[in-house]
Formats: sequence, structure tokens, C-alpha cells
Amino acid sequence: MKLVAVVACTSGIAHTYIAKEKLIKAAEKKGHSIKVETQGTIGTEGKLTKKDIEEADLVIMATDIQTTGNERFDNKKKIKIATSIAVKASEQLIEKIENEILS
Amino acid sequence: MKKALNELKRHALTAISYMLPLVVASGLLIAVGNLMGGEVIEDYTQPFTIASSLTSLGVMGMGLLPPFISGYIAYSIAERPGIAPGFLMGLIANALGAGFLGGMIGGYLVGYFVLWMRKTWKVPKWAEGLMPMMIIPTVSSIVVGLFMFFVVGIPITWLTDQLINFLESLDESSRVVYGFIFGVLGHIDYGGPISKVPNLFADGLLLEGVLGPEAIKVIGGIVPPVGITFGWLFSKIVNKRIYTRVEEDAIKVAFPMGLTMITEGVIPIAMNDLLRTLLATGMGTGVAGAINFYFQNGSPVPSGGVFVIPAMTKPLVAVSALLAGSIVTGIILVLIKKRITDEEYESLQNQEEEETDLSGFSIEG
Repeated sequence: MKLVAVVACTSGIAHTYIAKEKLIKAAEKKGHSIKVETQGTIGTEGKLTKKDIEEADLVIMATDIQTTGNERFDNKKKIKIATSIAVKASEQLIEKIENEILS
Repeated sequence: MKKALNELKRHALTAISYMLPLVVASGLLIAVGNLMGGEVIEDYTQPFTIASSLTSLGVMGMGLLPPFISGYIAYSIAERPGIAPGFLMGLIANALGAGFLGGMIGGYLVGYFVLWMRKTWKVPKWAEGLMPMMIIPTVSSIVVGLFMFFVVGIPITWLTDQLINFLESLDESSRVVYGFIFGVLGHIDYGGPISKVPNLFADGLLLEGVLGPEAIKVIGGIVPPVGITFGWLFSKIVNKRIYTRVEEDAIKVAFPMGLTMITEGVIPIAMNDLLRTLLATGMGTGVAGAINFYFQNGSPVPSGGVFVIPAMTKPLVAVSALLAGSIVTGIILVLIKKRITDEEYESLQNQEEEETDLSGFSIEG
């Protein structure tokens, strides 16, 4: 699968980036490609391109706060979780997505 | 019901995330200005010092908090059209002395009002441009503004006063108890969403000139990483290995992060042994909180870690609380964590994820 994700936590300096790492690690372990956009206090980094979004099978929104640019995903399949879930259980999340999308 | 509450919380968290840099900068400006002997400038026609201009700028920044929290809550609810009326509601909260709490309520009210207008008000095509530019901000400001002035303001001002009176009237033994509880709650999930609630409370009180909870929060944020580092050092002294090589590397990163009050560095370490670590750090932050509150240490700065200790009202108390809390955490860790074998020590494999219930989340669209 091709996945894209948007990650944003409240303080925007730590959880956001831990969640990003966990998501990437989990996705790659399961053999999927993933691109993660972080909306931290420093601003948006790793911004998803139009092409990224078009090609993606699913958008993971791991956000504790209101993020910008959500209209980009209007017609996409998405799953919304808290950053804590990504930190705690990224692998299980990817498995869940596999089960629901590929079945 | 739970979903609605989560929504409300999400809007508050959004506002806090926009607000944090403002609070930190303003708090540090006040602290630096005060250390240099600055005072709030009353009359700008008279000559003033650099120190006083820093203090004054910080105080102005603090005054911007209610508008900020209100404006960004409204933004989170209703997007752009919420910002202008949201900021106005915050100014009303300032004027009425309803401060932070008033700003939050104003933000929610005007945010949902604007959202309702956007969804239900239909205007002729030629007037569509006027909706976001004129109609929404003006009408929502009038309606919610009047409501704020004449209805909301009074009970909130009263509540704020009651809360401050209550905190100021606490005797010594209750200060220990409340300090402990506040210390534990403020860091129970290492900077995650649960701890944001008591921390929000502390920021609100800071605005009202109550500095105690803020000191508990700042010191409490440093205790878990420093305490875990102490635990590691103690474990070397007593020759009982409690951390793997991977965890040791994580501690080396978590320690300097922790000194600047980014508690999150301990998460990867805590995750591997959550209950024992939580118990140890919870006791540590609780003890630190109790010491801070008992000796009435206050912090005028809400964030910044060890660098704001000199700006606190009782820096020695702050240092003692930090050390005591960290030592407590360290000792408990050494006592209750399991000994690590050579094989486990070298294993680079992170432990398996804990079983987590994901049934509440579903794929949409």
C-alpha cells in the first residue's frame, strides 16, 4: 500500500516527531511506503504533494489539534487517531488498515 | 457524549498549541526584565530603561493570552471566520477580569455561533462576498459580545475570584496534599493530553497572578527525565542493571531534553516498562510538587525548564524540589525494576507493542 499521514500534537515539539518515526518504522516493517507530513510549532514540514495524495490508498490523520489543509483529503479514505495511538501502537494500526483495506 | 467532549478538548488543545510560544516568550521577557530590575512602565512619556521595556513587553504579551485562546478556539471550530470575533471575545474577558477561563468560554460560544451562521445563513449571490468579510464577524461579535458582557462575565469573574481565594487560603498541610496531587496529575502521561489539563489550569492562574501551580508544573516537567537518569546512575552504583543499551542511549537524549522541560524524551524508555516507570516518576513529581507548594515557590514563566529556575520566587526551593523528586524517582526505579541480563542488555530489538484497542477508530470516506 501507499500511505500518507499528517501528524500534529499539542506542543508540536516532541510527540509529533515520535509519532512520525513510529509510523514510518511500522509501515516499512510491513512493506508499505509511507510519507508523513508534520505540522509542528515550527510549521509544516515534509508537506505532502498533490501527487503523494492522489497516489495514496489511505490518509492517516494522527492529530490532537486542528490541522491545516484538511480539504486536500476530502475525497480520500482516511482514518483519524490521536498521536498517542501512533506512538503506542503504530504496528497494530497498520495491521488494522491492512485488514480493512485489502480484504 | 464522549465524542462531543473530545471535540471540545481538541479545540482547546489547538488554541494551546498556538498559545504556547506566546506564553513562553512573554514569561521569559518578564523574568529577564525583572532580574535586571525592570518594572512595568506606566507612563511612556517619561524616560524608561531597557529592563523596564522587557518587563512591560512581557506583561503586554500575557494580556494577549485571553484573546489568543479565544481567537484560536474559535478558529479551530469555525476556521478563518472565527478568528476576528474570537479575538474580540478575549478582549471582553480581559476587560471583565474573567481572564483565561472567560477567554475559553468566549471562544467556544463565538466559534459555534460562527459555524452555525456559516452553515445555515443563506444570502443572495451578490452578498456572498460580504458574509465572511462583514456579516459574520459583525453579527457574531454583537450577539456573542453582548452575551459575554451581560451574562457570562459575572459568574466567571466570581468563580475566578473564588478559586484564587481558595488557593491562597490553603494551610500548610493541605498545600502538601494539593501540591502532591497537582504534581502527579501534571505529568502522568509525560506531556501528553492528560497532563495538558492541569497545565492549562496553571497557565490560567498565572494570568491571575497566582504563581504556585506554575512552579509545580515547570519542576515537575523536569523530574521524570532527570529522575530516570538518576535511576540509571544509582543502578550503576548498586550494580543492578535496569536499562538495556538501547534505553541507555535514549536516556542520554532524554536528559538534556528534560532539562529544558521537554518531558517526552522519557516516553520511549517508559513504554518498555510502563507501570513501574509511572509509579516511580509519579511519586517523584508528586514529592517535587508538594515541596514547591509547601514552601510557596512560584514561577512567573510557564515553560523553559532549568533556565527559568533563577526567575522563580524561591529558586533554592525549586532546586531542592527538583533534586528530591528526581532522587525519589531514581531510588524507586532501582528498587522495583527487574534486573536486566547480559543477553537482554545487548538485544537491539525493541519490545513488542502492547495490545491496544483500536476498535474505536474506523476508516472514513
